Amino acid sequence: MISGYLEGLGMVLQVGTLLAIAGGTLLGIIMGALPGLTSAMAIALLLPVTFGMPPVMGIGMLLGALCGAGASGSIPAILLNIPGTPSSVATTFDGFPMAQKGEAGRALGLAIVASFFGGVASMVILSLLAPPIAEFALRFGAAEYFSLSIFGLVIIASVAGKSLLKGLIAGLIGFFASTIGTDPITGVGRFTFDQLSLLTGINLLPALIGLFAVSQVLKDAFEYDPRQRLEESTHRIDIARPRFLETLRHWKAVVAGILSGSIVGPIPGAGGSIASLVAYDQTRRFSKSPEKFGTGHAPGIVSVESANNALLGGALIPTLALGIPGEAATAVLLGGLMIQGITPGPLLFDDQSGTVYGIFLAYLAANVFMLLIMCLGIKLFIRVLMVPRKQLLAAILVFCFIGVYGVDGDVFNLYLMLGFGVLGYFLNRYDFGTAPVILGLILGPIAEANLRRGLQAFQGDWTPFFTRPISLTFLVIAVGLLALTLWQNYRGNRRSESNASS
Amino acid sequence: MERDIGKPIFDLLLLIASAAAFAAAMALPDIEIVGDLSPAFFPKLISAMIFLFAIPCLVKDVREWRAAVPAGGSRPANRRGVMQWLWIVGLTVVYILLFEPLGYIPSTAVFAFCCVIGLLIASGVWGELSASQRVKSLGGAAIFAIVLAVAIYYVFTDLFEIPLPD
Repeated sequence: MISGYLEGLGMVLQVGTLLAIAGGTLLGIIMGALPGLTSAMAIALLLPVTFGMPPVMGIGMLLGALCGAGASGSIPAILLNIPGTPSSVATTFDGFPMAQKGEAGRALGLAIVASFFGGVASMVILSLLAPPIAEFALRFGAAEYFSLSIFGLVIIASVAGKSLLKGLIAGLIGFFASTIGTDPITGVGRFTFDQLSLLTGINLLPALIGLFAVSQVLKDAFEYDPRQRLEESTHRIDIARPRFLETLRHWKAVVAGILSGSIVGPIPGAGGSIASLVAYDQTRRFSKSPEKFGTGHAPGIVSVESANNALLGGALIPTLALGIPGEAATAVLLGGLMIQGITPGPLLFDDQSGTVYGIFLAYLAANVFMLLIMCLGIKLFIRVLMVPRKQLLAAILVFCFIGVYGVDGDVFNLYLMLGFGVLGYFLNRYDFGTAPVILGLILGPIAEANLRRGLQAFQGDWTPFFTRPISLTFLVIAVGLLALTLWQNYRGNRRSESNASS
Repeated sequence: MERDIGKPIFDLLLLIASAAAFAAAMALPDIEIVGDLSPAFFPKLISAMIFLFAIPCLVKDVREWRAAVPAGGSRPANRRGVMQWLWIVGLTVVYILLFEPLGYIPSTAVFAFCCVIGLLIASGVWGELSASQRVKSLGGAAIFAIVLAVAIYYVFTDLFEIPLPD
């Protein structure tokens, strides 16, 4: 482990790697500060830039974007009462009232430091928990990998869309798309339509950029209204400096945030808004002055922001150790890892331990850069909010083009990107979600290959998939979750029907 | 709840697409290897599942559509949104078509310029601008488009060594 850390440290402590992490963090902060643009989009846009980079440098850049976006969602939440990211919703509860009292700088200072503490603590938890989970997963065979893929797909499908069925359909669309190309066992071409670019299957990058960046641009284009202008913040921000001592005085709120984020984070699909709301609720519940929450109370901001960044480290645990992402942004990150030639999962910890520990340390560095950049550039990021939308949309689309075309110079991939963008737009608009599609694309080949490999090994016998303990456990949990979600959906429908009739 | 016919239409399209995918999967060769599944197994299974899952979605969305009240005053905003959406999609297709023949810098500059001005026109704001404001908007969009195309070209080709069509 120590040799792994030393090897990883050598990879991170290079000028190029540190610059890449800082650059990724900066872009993440800008994207997170812009309402409507997500960390998943930031990572998708950065993916092509990372191609020529060594793995730790490239992944460090993506982690920087993830970390920066996780923290900067608080800027519009505090100044404009508009959450920059879904996980910043709870930041508005106390952040905006504090800003209204003329203490916007204090609120931002608390949010920055709490995000930093949350991020650093989650890195420690990640580095402690991921290796033993990966070690346990070394026992997995074909049956277990098949069941794990189904488990991952069911979990994200049950939480990503607004209804279970729609989430499952989205996952199955991705799964179907993953079957396009040459069948790896028989060599039969499936749905290639004599298109050379499809012989090796759907390229992950155009799918990722289409689903997470182009679809968002199309949504913004639909909603674009030049008559609606953001009012420039009138709040005082000249005192926006990090509030270490004040944040530490609210250590209980920090701990509540770290615990909530770390527990919710590894649950695939649970998402940042749940972690931050849980942290806020727990801090208020155990507070001596719960009545102050919602009026610009510092522990409210501290708990939410520490939970937001603690969540990211937690979400990386199943992503790295099992290859199952925690939510949309880590699903894109998983795609990024695979494009980099890194196959997340237990073998990664065995074969490339230096890279794994390098990734842990890169995440720590990303948190340090997030703290520095947010403190130094807070006024600049507030100006980012004023960037005209139409110019921004054009620039993002150009980035998407270069990203997809630059990889192999194949124009077909640009059409693929646009196709996935249009598909993603409608999937989001009609409550299916896009995260399950990517997971289907990633997990589909794993599920199919392991099922077929397992069946060959078991001489066509299906029973080992249901009798091997770990495989059975995954399948039972998946079925249990399906049943639970269906029951919750049924209850929700009944409740809304009875509300409508009364 | 606002009435949105798009949901049931999308469900219906999913049903049709999954049926077509199933038919295409049926046409795949059935190669038997001992203990293995045929290459058509997964595509058939998945398309059948999408078809089956899309039916209750369609039924639910049609019921919700019938129960919802027709949208009132949001029609012009909706029409404007559709125009803006179609403009971006159409422009992107043209950008793809011109990307290699025209080269990166000219095609990107034209795309960025048309994107900005097109959104102004599609949103209806263009008609409200005076002649001098229009000239200012055109000039601003042109400068933005050229700077964006050239700056990105040098950043990506020189810094990240990503080749772009000349």
